[in-house]
Amino acid sequence: MKIEIKTIRRCIMFFAILALLLWIGSIWISGQAQHMSEYIQGRSRPYTGIAAEPENSIDMIVLGDSESYTSVSPLEIWQERGYPVYVCGQPGQKVQETYYMLRHALETQSPKVVLMETNLMFRDPGFLGNIRVDMTEFLRYHMPIFRYHNMWKMLLDGSWANDDYKGFAIRSGVKACDREKEASYMKETTETAKIPEAVHTYMEKIIKLCRDNGAELVLVSAPSPKNYNYKKHNAIERYAGEKGLHYIDLNLKAGQLGIDWTKDSYDRGDHLNLSGARKVTSYLGKYIGEKYGMEDRRNDPAYQEWDRLAEKYQAEVARRLAK
Amino acid sequence: MSYDAVLYIFVFLPVCLAVYQLTPEKSRWKALLIFSLAFHFLLSRGLLLCLIGTSLLTYYTGICLEWLRSEEKLELSGADRTEKRRLKQKYQRRRKRILALGVIILLAILAYLKYYNFFVRSVDLLPGWLSLPLSLEEKQLIMPVGISFYTLQAIGYMADVYWGRISPERDPGRMTLFLSFFPQIMEGPICRYSDTAGTLFKGEPVSYQNLVDGYVRIFWGLFKKKIIADRLAVPVAVIFDNYTEYGGMLIAVGAVAYTIQLYMEFSGCMDIIIGSGRMFGICLPENFRQPFCARSASEFWRRWHITLGTWFKTYIFYPVSMSGIVKRWNQFGRKHLGKYMTQLGVAAAALFPVWVCNGLWHGARWSYIFYGMYYFVLILAGEAVKPLRDKALAAFRIREDAVWLRCVQIARTWVIIFTGELFFRADGLRAGLHMFWSMFEEFGISRLWDGTLFTLGVGRADLAAVAVGCIIVAVVGHMKEKDKNIPQRLAAAPLPVRWGAYYALILAVIIFAAYGDGYQAVDMIYAGF
Repeated sequence: MKIEIKTIRRCIMFFAILALLLWIGSIWISGQAQHMSEYIQGRSRPYTGIAAEPENSIDMIVLGDSESYTSVSPLEIWQERGYPVYVCGQPGQKVQETYYMLRHALETQSPKVVLMETNLMFRDPGFLGNIRVDMTEFLRYHMPIFRYHNMWKMLLDGSWANDDYKGFAIRSGVKACDREKEASYMKETTETAKIPEAVHTYMEKIIKLCRDNGAELVLVSAPSPKNYNYKKHNAIERYAGEKGLHYIDLNLKAGQLGIDWTKDSYDRGDHLNLSGARKVTSYLGKYIGEKYGMEDRRNDPAYQEWDRLAEKYQAEVARRLAK
Repeated sequence: MSYDAVLYIFVFLPVCLAVYQLTPEKSRWKALLIFSLAFHFLLSRGLLLCLIGTSLLTYYTGICLEWLRSEEKLELSGADRTEKRRLKQKYQRRRKRILALGVIILLAILAYLKYYNFFVRSVDLLPGWLSLPLSLEEKQLIMPVGISFYTLQAIGYMADVYWGRISPERDPGRMTLFLSFFPQIMEGPICRYSDTAGTLFKGEPVSYQNLVDGYVRIFWGLFKKKIIADRLAVPVAVIFDNYTEYGGMLIAVGAVAYTIQLYMEFSGCMDIIIGSGRMFGICLPENFRQPFCARSASEFWRRWHITLGTWFKTYIFYPVSMSGIVKRWNQFGRKHLGKYMTQLGVAAAALFPVWVCNGLWHGARWSYIFYGMYYFVLILAGEAVKPLRDKALAAFRIREDAVWLRCVQIARTWVIIFTGELFFRADGLRAGLHMFWSMFEEFGISRLWDGTLFTLGVGRADLAAVAVGCIIVAVVGHMKEKDKNIPQRLAAAPLPVRWGAYYALILAVIIFAAYGDGYQAVDMIYAGF
């Protein structure tokens, strides 16, 4: 193909202008999204939520899929231990999303601890799926217009603010876990589950990102008979050992935490409900607070807003539990 | 990997283009073949063998037919007149057998994979005294992607070689590429060898203009699919999946919404497919020509899924019209029934198999057969009343091209289309009939503006995007109908106007398409056929 210099110049010009338009659009829309963070719905919510927090105000960031935001309640930790936590979990979060979420969070925050719920370490969208997620997350991170493009809909559909309890989802319903499943799901074995290749690749990046930013990466498995078993425990334990990470498997501590699967399960052993989350949060808040020497900031005037939100949260918890 | 996926448009297609361009001209078709097989493998895994088997069968059938033709020529050269006649008949019979064998094998594979379970279910429905002495059970059968499309292409190729319209392909690899070319494998268009082979194997270098035209066409397809069709998928699913809860106006809304969804989806994917082909300099046939401008059901089918209609016309309608039995009917009818009834009989005999096949091709369901019969009856009725209609127009001195008449005819055709699509989308014939009758109970036109529409899973913004999108598509369609070639005009426009239009299209897709938060990817409807 004979390509004239003029044609090449035009092509470069065309894509440069397009990139410029998308870049300007991205900057504008990111600002708008951050400004209107309480109105943003769905998977983008934690992105705007963490960006809207004052700079370097969060001491622990929680990552993961739905197991993360149904297990760790930052405002409980705030009231009990006094260190600020934000949950950046998303439903069905994939490891690529976890990485870019962490990168985004670390742009404005310098947490001491990054707590990662491990259920996503076994999520594998397959060869093509991984390429797709790699691409889309890369694009969404560098050109946020792809993430927030639906914001125009607020003009017509209206907007309403959601209660944001620092990323935690209050789920007070109860659907008991199957007793047989509950009794047998952590039966000891020497077998090991396979961690997908893409997870290995992105975990390396996550570990490096944490190290570069002086944050301690801690792996945690939330109690969930539906999602966990001993094979997965072995796989994560081995992985954590190889990488020198700290791993807490709460499935093995369900009894110690006082988890009652007839009362603490939201949907038959998949996610914890509010009652279960409070037990897990209480344990994790104390454990991490003591192990990593998290500072109590309850008397810091910069965190007065947290106290107000915690009161609102407790009122909502009381309302839900009274139902 | 569907055609509207980021992976296809921004990874697979560019990589294929790069490899194609770097390959020497003579071998470029081989690069396309490798990518086509890889694409099919990614979608169908081991079932790729089915496609390769079909290609080899089609290839050898063509070679065999050609060999018989050359043998015939050889023997005819030294024969006298009587001997020639005998030889011609002998070879004609042999060629017919070879063609029949090839077609039967292809249809048997398709029938087994696509219709076996339907057959078993239908046998179960037979009353006891009629049931067959067979004990058949339904099976878990997986169809290779695109089998309905490439089987028709293969049959068309064999028939064309049989009729001597084309010379057979000498390279099995090229035959495989003809049947498996990756942009068209999932949704067509159903190509004839004589239409695409030339550009498919030519190895034309990638040109700037083809790239621009191709990507503009692809983004236009994305506009239709992602902004309109994918948004309408939600209310359509709500109405059709819960049809017993709705009636009157909402069923009508469902039928109209589904028709628009289907058109935007199928024609949008066709734009992506044709645009993809264009990048390689390959001209794939158009499948749509403003179908909603049609003035009758038969005209609609000359504008909607054109390549399927052309296939049925070429390989079913004409052969049946020219068959011995129809010829005999013609002779008998002209003697005893008159011209009108004879022609109607011929039309019925040729149209009936076309519409049965049309219905069945879409899938193994009674509602699809009903859909085919619906159009058979309407088109035949159109033929039946034509003389009366012509007389009435002449008597009242109404011009055929009068605007008001055209509007009435178009509106009537819309009603026909929407009703047809209602049965097509409904979950079975019983559901379709239920929905159809429930339209006439408490119609309630006020549901259009009393907020009921917002209970169907879409908000104001989604409906506004659909409405504006439809208006833009209608305006572009109207301009095309008036023979205004928009891409050509755009190419001739000054650079700022041209680029402005390209940026507007790209940004419209990025901003208004239904993806990301709150949306789920919607599968391509015709890929399921």
